[in-house]
Amino acid sequence: MSGKAGVVFDIKEFAVFDGPGIRTTVFMKGCPLSCMWCHNPEGLSPRPQLMVSRAACTGCGACRRVCPSPEACISCGACVPVCRGGYRKIVGTAWTAEDLAARLQKDADVYALSGGGVTFSGGEPLMQWDFVADVIARLRGVHTAIETSGFAADAVFEDAMARCDLIMMDWKVSDPALHRRYTGVDQAIIRRHAQMLCAGSTPFILRMPIIPGVNDNEAHFETAAQLVKDAKALVRVDVLPYQRAAGAKYGMVGRTYSVDFDETRPPRMYTECLEQAGIPVQVFR
Amino acid sequence: MTNRIAALKDVQWARTHHQARRAPVEDAALPYRDPALTDIERTALRLKTALELETPYLFPQELIAFTRTVPNLPMIYDEAEWAKISSEHYIHELGNVSNLSPDYGRVIASGLLAIRERLGGGALHSAMRMSIDAVLDLTKRYEQAARDAGDGALAAVLARVPAGPAATFREALQSLRILHYAMWCEGDYHNTLGRFDQYMMPYLQADLDAGRETQESAFELLEAFFLACNRDSDLYPGMQQGDNGQSIVLGGMTPDGTDGYNLLSEMCLQASAELRLIDPKINLRVSKDTPLEVFELGTQLTKLGLGFPQYENDDVAIPGLTALGYAERDARDYAMAACWEFIIPGKGMEIPNIGALPFANTVDRVIRERLADCPDMDALRREIREAIFASVRETLAARKNLYVIPSPYLSLFFDGCVEKERDISLGCTYNNWGLHGTGLAPAADMLAAVEQLVFGGEITAQELTAAMDADFVGHEALHNRLKTACPKMGNDDERADRHAVWLLDTFAESVRGLTNERGGCVRAGTGSAMYYIFHANELGATADGREAGVPLPANYAPSLNVKLSGPVSLVKSFTKPNLSRVINGGPLTIEFSDSVFTQEESITKVAQLVRLFVLRGGHQLQLNTVNRERLLDAQQHPENYRNLIVRVWGWSGYFVELDRCYQDHIIRRAALNL
Repeated sequence: MSGKAGVVFDIKEFAVFDGPGIRTTVFMKGCPLSCMWCHNPEGLSPRPQLMVSRAACTGCGACRRVCPSPEACISCGACVPVCRGGYRKIVGTAWTAEDLAARLQKDADVYALSGGGVTFSGGEPLMQWDFVADVIARLRGVHTAIETSGFAADAVFEDAMARCDLIMMDWKVSDPALHRRYTGVDQAIIRRHAQMLCAGSTPFILRMPIIPGVNDNEAHFETAAQLVKDAKALVRVDVLPYQRAAGAKYGMVGRTYSVDFDETRPPRMYTECLEQAGIPVQVFR
Repeated sequence: MTNRIAALKDVQWARTHHQARRAPVEDAALPYRDPALTDIERTALRLKTALELETPYLFPQELIAFTRTVPNLPMIYDEAEWAKISSEHYIHELGNVSNLSPDYGRVIASGLLAIRERLGGGALHSAMRMSIDAVLDLTKRYEQAARDAGDGALAAVLARVPAGPAATFREALQSLRILHYAMWCEGDYHNTLGRFDQYMMPYLQADLDAGRETQESAFELLEAFFLACNRDSDLYPGMQQGDNGQSIVLGGMTPDGTDGYNLLSEMCLQASAELRLIDPKINLRVSKDTPLEVFELGTQLTKLGLGFPQYENDDVAIPGLTALGYAERDARDYAMAACWEFIIPGKGMEIPNIGALPFANTVDRVIRERLADCPDMDALRREIREAIFASVRETLAARKNLYVIPSPYLSLFFDGCVEKERDISLGCTYNNWGLHGTGLAPAADMLAAVEQLVFGGEITAQELTAAMDADFVGHEALHNRLKTACPKMGNDDERADRHAVWLLDTFAESVRGLTNERGGCVRAGTGSAMYYIFHANELGATADGREAGVPLPANYAPSLNVKLSGPVSLVKSFTKPNLSRVINGGPLTIEFSDSVFTQEESITKVAQLVRLFVLRGGHQLQLNTVNRERLLDAQQHPENYRNLIVRVWGWSGYFVELDRCYQDHIIRRAALNL
């Protein structure tokens, strides 16, 4: 008996940055946050949507001729098969938990061989937690992880901690006012869930995207260090300096990438704040 | 890297030694073109002439000497003679012996004089004697030059080898350098350095045991030898510069059945990583028992973007070779030819690239001509099977009355040539021929598309071929379905993969029992060499949705411009066929973005992926690390990218030295976008 379908915007094999070993990452569509630097804009909306590689488009007009709703795109996909270059696609595929679990289970031998597994990312995987939990329940002998903003109902977060083998949670901005400004949501819930992780026994990695002029200051690193320094189940802190490619996909989903910080300046790093507290740190370049 | 090696590398890279080269020798008045001379005599005299023209050239702080100062001499025949021979014979490539793995170990151990003593007065033996004397004469002049330069150590080494047996690691390396150098001068080409770590290890071990060398000093010697392999690359013939066959094979089972991976194997991997040069290209033999650390060491090289090591799987290759009739000890001793063909050192006069079965073109032709008359897939498969058998027979029929320019000097390195007074060009223990198989994945994709859309009742054969004839213009919806809604090989999808399994099995069956005119068998393979460019040019739009003009994939790889699920599915797809049946060679090629390697732990993950391929029965694997933006920029600003190394088909070369079509192909290859 399959429950509600989940909407997935990508499945990526050999996702080398999403946890230990050889892993497949499932990107769940939809996110309650709206981080200014988000590099997966197609993961924001929970619904399937049209994605167009405008840079490669030759302007042949085949798409316009078949479009039933030229005023506003309804993501019907009519234009996808007529595009000669294959520059149009619908992102967001509905999967049943059963089918997705079978797709992931097929490579269980590879995960086992390498100490890897499956990671649910997004978007925000906890936004479709019932579905993700259903998939996880169907997997046999597979290490599971989630990459989350931590923004979810307490019960959902608790359930995720109980069901996953590894939680990778972001700590984005320490200052509550700035947090709201740059992510669009209140930090209190996220801080509470970080504290739950610190008090709990589920192995977790705290991930810190470092954005120039936003959170590349000593106070932010210091706050993170204070937050996790006594956590028994902390694996390490991942530090992810801002990458300039972040805006690459905005045009493809009809959005504009606009930031109020200086993208060109490499972020300042204060990893020593973490290291001095005895916290293992990995910097992703 | 020691200061000495760093300095040698800098000087060599500046290519000042190219200025010491004399002008090309003109055709007129070449002593070896005397019509009264036999081809064997001509070859020996040509080698003698070339070596006599050489002037010793020593780099400052030279460790391993011998540098070319004479461009390649004109061949032994004049134009008219060669035209006549070519019209009467099948000529393979340039006509010389090529692509073999000589038994250097035996000659290094005995020295050339010991072989010379066994020579009699016959024509071949006389030519061999002339060749040996020419090599030793040049060595004497190098020895004198070293003495004149005040380098007594080098002079002492040259006084001993290659005339006599090597006693130390340095002597063995110097001997190998001279022996291999002279092969190029004879006109033989692409002769690989073979199982270097096996035949060299005894000398290294003896030095370490006796305290003559430390591991560090031996490493310096090894790097000096590797450097020397890169000095004259521009003089070597090849389709493109870099295509020169100077590869070595590391690790793997010994003839006795023990594991051959040793200290020297590891040192070679480290030296290659440190020097970052195109030669020698490294093959790493592995098996299910190879520890992960070895794969990790190999991956460190992959990370550098050198395009090697290329991995060979003993668990698949050895049974595959014994099934073809190779003795077990010989099968265990396999080495790689210039690219990836499996050959036997010192025993094979094989031509592993004598032709190719064009899978994509064959399947395309049957679809165009016969699909409409086929009631079901079985009928179509019968037609394709017949076409494959016919194509193989036709290729072999065109390769009759082979003539190979003799190589009396190279013959010294092959079993029985001295004893039987038979030149290597006429054959050796193994005389097998190999056929590449190009465009397998597009062919499998074509069959998957036909099965789904035509036999699934969605379109007719005529609709399909009409769309193909129009290069899909006006058939965009069908084109899109072919490209995106039909299964593709490489995605672990049985609906496509099973066609590839069947195509390779059929290829293996088509050559079974065939013999060539030298009594050898015919081996099927999964390689492409340069055929992937030729065959693609002959194709229009194809049933897999590929537009006319889009290249075929190189070697054993998924179609270009296909949406792939990822490396795990890719490895699973490409390990489904019974690869020991198509053991002529031809690697699965996986391209990684260099961003994969920004984290150190990726080394382990990539190593695990390679091991997965081996455990699942893959035969040969080669990984590339590419950065598309860098390649595009290198096309615009080649002057900034002289050192940029890329893998082309079975070899690595400098990107900016390649012809544009090869550059473009590398850029187009399905980067897995990790």
